Amino acid sequence: MSKRKRAESKSSIGGLKEDENKLLDLIRSKEGMGATTFEMKLETKIVPALITRSIASLKKNHLIKEVPNINNKGIKHFLAVEFAPCKELTGGDWYNDGTLNIEKIEDLKGICVAILDSAKDRVVTFEILSTYFEKTKDKLTREQVKQILKNLVLDNVIMEVTSNGLGEFSSTRIGQVCYKLTGRKSDNGKARAGAFASVPCGACPHIALCSPDGVISPTTCDYFQKWLDF
Amino acid sequence: MDTSEFGIVYAVHIITAQFGSVVSKVCECLLRKGSLSSRDISRFSESEINHNKVKDILYLLIQHNCVQAFSVEPRAGSESKAIVQYFVLFNNIIHRVRYNKFSRVVNEELGSQCGAVLDGLLTNGRLTLGQLIERDRDSENTIGSEVIRDSLRKLVAARFVERIPSPEPVIGKKEQEPGQKKKGTRAAQIIKEPETLEERIIEAATPVDAIRFPLIFEQGSSSSLADNDGNISEGKRKQHDVESSDSRNEVIWRPNFEEFIRHLRHKACVEIVKERRDEGCAIVLRAMLEVGRSQEKKVKTAKSVPMSVGSIYEEVIKTEAGRTMLQERVEACLDQLSATSSYLPAFVIEMDDSYIVDFTSIISVAQKDEMEAVVLRRYGKEAFRMFRYLSQEGHFVETDKIADAALTEKKDTPQILLKMWKDGYLHMQKLAVTGVYVPFLLWKVNKLIVSRQMLDEMYHACLNLSLRLTHEIDSEKELTLLPLNKLEGALKERLNKIKAKRLLLSSTSFKLDDAIMLFHDF
Ligand code: SF4
Repeated sequence: MSKRKRAESKSSIGGLKEDENKLLDLIRSKEGMGATTFEMKLETKIVPALITRSIASLKKNHLIKEVPNINNKGIKHFLAVEFAPCKELTGGDWYNDGTLNIEKIEDLKGICVAILDSAKDRVVTFEILSTYFEKTKDKLTREQVKQILKNLVLDNVIMEVTSNGLGEFSSTRIGQVCYKLTGRKSDNGKARAGAFASVPCGACPHIALCSPDGVISPTTCDYFQKWLDF
Repeated sequence: MDTSEFGIVYAVHIITAQFGSVVSKVCECLLRKGSLSSRDISRFSESEINHNKVKDILYLLIQHNCVQAFSVEPRAGSESKAIVQYFVLFNNIIHRVRYNKFSRVVNEELGSQCGAVLDGLLTNGRLTLGQLIERDRDSENTIGSEVIRDSLRKLVAARFVERIPSPEPVIGKKEQEPGQKKKGTRAAQIIKEPETLEERIIEAATPVDAIRFPLIFEQGSSSSLADNDGNISEGKRKQHDVESSDSRNEVIWRPNFEEFIRHLRHKACVEIVKERRDEGCAIVLRAMLEVGRSQEKKVKTAKSVPMSVGSIYEEVIKTEAGRTMLQERVEACLDQLSATSSYLPAFVIEMDDSYIVDFTSIISVAQKDEMEAVVLRRYGKEAFRMFRYLSQEGHFVETDKIADAALTEKKDTPQILLKMWKDGYLHMQKLAVTGVYVPFLLWKVNKLIVSRQMLDEMYHACLNLSLRLTHEIDSEKELTLLPLNKLEGALKERLNKIKAKRLLLSSTSFKLDDAIMLFHDF
């Protein structure tokens, strides 16, 4: 124990500045992603206690800053002050202080649906949609508009179609990416009511535990009770 | 046989309800252990059913087309005699709850007289023409022997009825001993075997078409068919087997489930197309199915034969709905049917000026909708997006990327994915990366595994619906026994309620069974 202490203090005399520099270089090289203490240990081979001390010192001198990771709140990333945290850490455009801005997303989705709905039987090109959003107060980038549309496709509310210049595509160029409603917007974009999903057992979280003579059984279950309560 | 656990439980339940618990024990024994000799069955079935009783039960099950006997060719030079084995036909047991669907098909296609003959075969399993006539004579609404004969002929011509298979075909030896049930993990069982024991037995037992569906038949004159038989050696052997089954030399008939399933499959395809495209496309598809029908060798045909626009058009104008369609319109529908988008795959493949129906693609669209509907109801909107994203990607994707693509809160994404994974709806893989503290989790939708999982759950749900129905009826038994005109006020209301419950439960299981067919039979 005492031996180790001696070794540490020895290195600290001439090495603290050196360690700090080493760490700062590493952190700078990681740009917007920064470095975690785990990575610092692994890549610089500096002993943990010194890493902690160096980080504190670098922070005090306003050379680095601490940013939480959106995917793993427990892990801290250290970034050089001149870099803004990257998408992987903040979660990207749709995040506000680490929380997804669902309200805004849903609002934007609602606007898209309204535009597509007003187009009636015709398709709407991506260009029209993205120009529209460029002019609004949100000033969405093309990439962001694309993300919103993709989300609506995943919701099964709209579909992406490529123009062939005929029929409903007559006012578009061949090959242009267009969108139209799948025709299910009224149902909040729900998938077709499947036969299985319409039975209580299809939606039941206990199906794996349910058995004819078990504690959870079709003769006693509440889901059936409610479903059959005329 | 790749029967799911709840598939077995459900099949046993059907047999118990219709034939009693002793018969169902024999059935369960066969369902769980694969094919067995009658002695083995009497040994294995829990409550020592004696050998003679087992034999009686097997005859009953054979009569109702739920069991097929066969024997394996003894090794060359071996002294031992081939022992008769019994194989349970799981599908035919499940078909028993579909009899009213089959009956409806015949009533619609061939009229009520054919329907009556078919009903006779469905309730009795197998009958000769003589027995059918006899049965009619004893019934209240006699239709007469000529009508019976004529209806039977129509049913055979339409292939809804077939001559019974060979009672005890001999199959060649293969590496796998019958009676030995394959072991292995679920995933290993999913990989499809080229030819299962079931397929081999059925193939060996089924006579060639000319014998299976004879064009001319009279009581006792089936021998005239031998000349029609193109496949001489094989066919003759089979014919001999078939005839020896009948002591009075009268042909025995049974419903041909294969044709009913094919019919329902076609009908389902037309419905799927009608709902996703439009009426016109549905008319064109129906015509295409008609053109290609005679060339379909098995029920689960993946793709039809190629057909020309001309032949399709010819068929379209034969139908009442298509009579007014111009060839131009038919061509436009074909274009629509062969279009692909992110929303719908192509239903028809265009190739060198001819068109092929892509059954697999049509059916998979409906399967996908069924799966997604369950995911939406059980796990919510976010899960629905993730599931759709992963099915679209078709490969492993890490958690973070899924959250980005589905625009779901990153904190919640792992939990939602884990929930689906626990229930078998997702596949997960851990990926340890050097230098990174927590392992990456990768996710994927494996359609085959999801289908199996859902199918098992659907059998489970069918069983539950049936059990609940019995429960509801039992709990109001006294009420249903009272004379109707004596019921008033609260009692009458109770009776109406039980009727409504009964209706909901049975109509739901009817629809659920359609979904089962979509995953299992189509
Ligand atoms: S019977 Fe009830 S408990 Fe069992 S699976 Fe169905 S809904 Fe769930």
